[in-house]
Amino acid sequence: MLELNNVEAIYSEVILVLKGISLHVPEGGCVALLGSNGAGKSTTLKCISGLIRPEDGAVTGGNITFLGKRIDALPAEAVVRRGLVHVMEGRKVLEHMTTQQNLMVGGHMHRDAARRRQNLERVYALMPPLANLRQRTAGYLSGGEQQMLVIGRALMAEPTMMLIDEPSLGLAPMLVEEIYAILAELRAHGLTLLLVEQNTRAALEIADHGYVMENGRIVMEGSAAQLKSNEDIREFYLGLDQSGERKSYRDIKHYKRRKRWLG
Amino acid sequence: MTDFLIYLIEGALIGQVYALIAMGFVVIYRASKVFNFAQGELVVLGGYLVWWMVLGSGLPAWVGIPLAFALAALTGIVIERIFFSRLVGESLFSMVMVTVGLLVLLRGVFLVIWGAHVRPFPMIVPMRPLILGELFISRSLLIGGAVTVVAAVGLSWFFNRTTAGLRMTAVAEDHQIAMSLGISVKRSVAFAWMLGAVLSTVGAIVFLNGKSLSFLASDIGFAALPVAMLAGLESIGGLILAGLVVGIAQGMAAAYLDPLLGGGVSTVLPFVVMILILFFRPNGLFGWKLIERV
Repeated sequence: MLELNNVEAIYSEVILVLKGISLHVPEGGCVALLGSNGAGKSTTLKCISGLIRPEDGAVTGGNITFLGKRIDALPAEAVVRRGLVHVMEGRKVLEHMTTQQNLMVGGHMHRDAARRRQNLERVYALMPPLANLRQRTAGYLSGGEQQMLVIGRALMAEPTMMLIDEPSLGLAPMLVEEIYAILAELRAHGLTLLLVEQNTRAALEIADHGYVMENGRIVMEGSAAQLKSNEDIREFYLGLDQSGERKSYRDIKHYKRRKRWLG
Repeated sequence: MTDFLIYLIEGALIGQVYALIAMGFVVIYRASKVFNFAQGELVVLGGYLVWWMVLGSGLPAWVGIPLAFALAALTGIVIERIFFSRLVGESLFSMVMVTVGLLVLLRGVFLVIWGAHVRPFPMIVPMRPLILGELFISRSLLIGGAVTVVAAVGLSWFFNRTTAGLRMTAVAEDHQIAMSLGISVKRSVAFAWMLGAVLSTVGAIVFLNGKSLSFLASDIGFAALPVAMLAGLESIGGLILAGLVVGIAQGMAAAYLDPLLGGGVSTVLPFVVMILILFFRPNGLFGWKLIERV
């Protein structure tokens, strides 16, 4: 459904952040993009959604196709109209607007008011806490509620695919579970997901395929099961030792092993 | 007592004229987040367009005024095309600086096209005052006040209830979020300037009715600023109340303080109000508060 082929991206015309990324997201699938800070995960998503351009960045090489058509030259608003939405990192609600206004703005491209209403009720049904907060100012919602709101707002556009950036960032473990339960339900309804996460454990629970990024490159890929059992992933991303025990911080000072991939 | 009532009503109505001018400013802010320093020039632009269409070309007012509105809207779009469309995604501050440049540029353009001499402004609303008992109330101010209230209520509804308005509100919140939702920031900015220019033309008609017109009329843009600040830059409905407060305060100062202190207090007072607002309530009465989460 979404195909990235050798994509290169730069910021400010000099800083090369993506050095040839290729990845593939099948229809109805859920793919996780993993990696540490500064690996280029968020930039990859911004290249796809076109949001890299207002940040003074550009896709300088390779191509991005969505449903068989090139989208790397399209402005962000045209990408959304094709059914590909980007939920940005950091719970970017429209702070001074109410919950309901946030959601309505998400569905602004649909002319039919009845259809917008219907989508709105569907979002409230999927995320019942929001239904009780309709008239609340979005900036004052709790972190979990805001995360739900931005997901709900993206759903109002009736997307076929969602790019979602760090939905677990800064949330309590219980809320992370709640958000992931929502994502799982969306998957079950046929929404294709490309998920960027630092919370590798949570991401590999829901994803069926994963890519690991480092330094603007993809250094590893595999099915979720493969990644989960990979020694390096276990050690560096899941913090487990060989036998599957949680690693004690006491042992970390003896840490000598190096990653086996070339970054 | 009658004197007091006259000062009160007159002050309130003049306050509504300020509010109307400020509305052009707020609409631009509300749909693009750009603080427009060239608001006064937009009023002068509107004034000249009306003069040009009605007195200059000799068209009847009912043809000339809609034509002036159309030309003002067109100018708004041209301004977006030339100056703002390539700045989308750049820092907001550069857009604001462009409006400073626009102020200087527009003033120059007016001088080139229409010259520096003072021209009579057409009398759109009859000057004959409305007489209620002992009260004389200016008809143009009364109509202006009504226009302000209707426009404020209508635009408030537009920005908070309709899809197109919510789209622009989203742009005023954050350009990047708006883009991620599939909203065209360019179109929103274009619409903002179009609407701002048309409202400024309405403001020019009310403000200049039967007076004289020169490029110096742009001072009204700064005189209206305290009203916008008091209302809070995002609030259109709040302009009515803010206009009343500033207008009445100014009217009272003109009536009772100016004779004592040798004049000029009433001119300065709104700006004193503005500085006080900035000290004690920088978001105005109804503006968006900065939401900080700890």
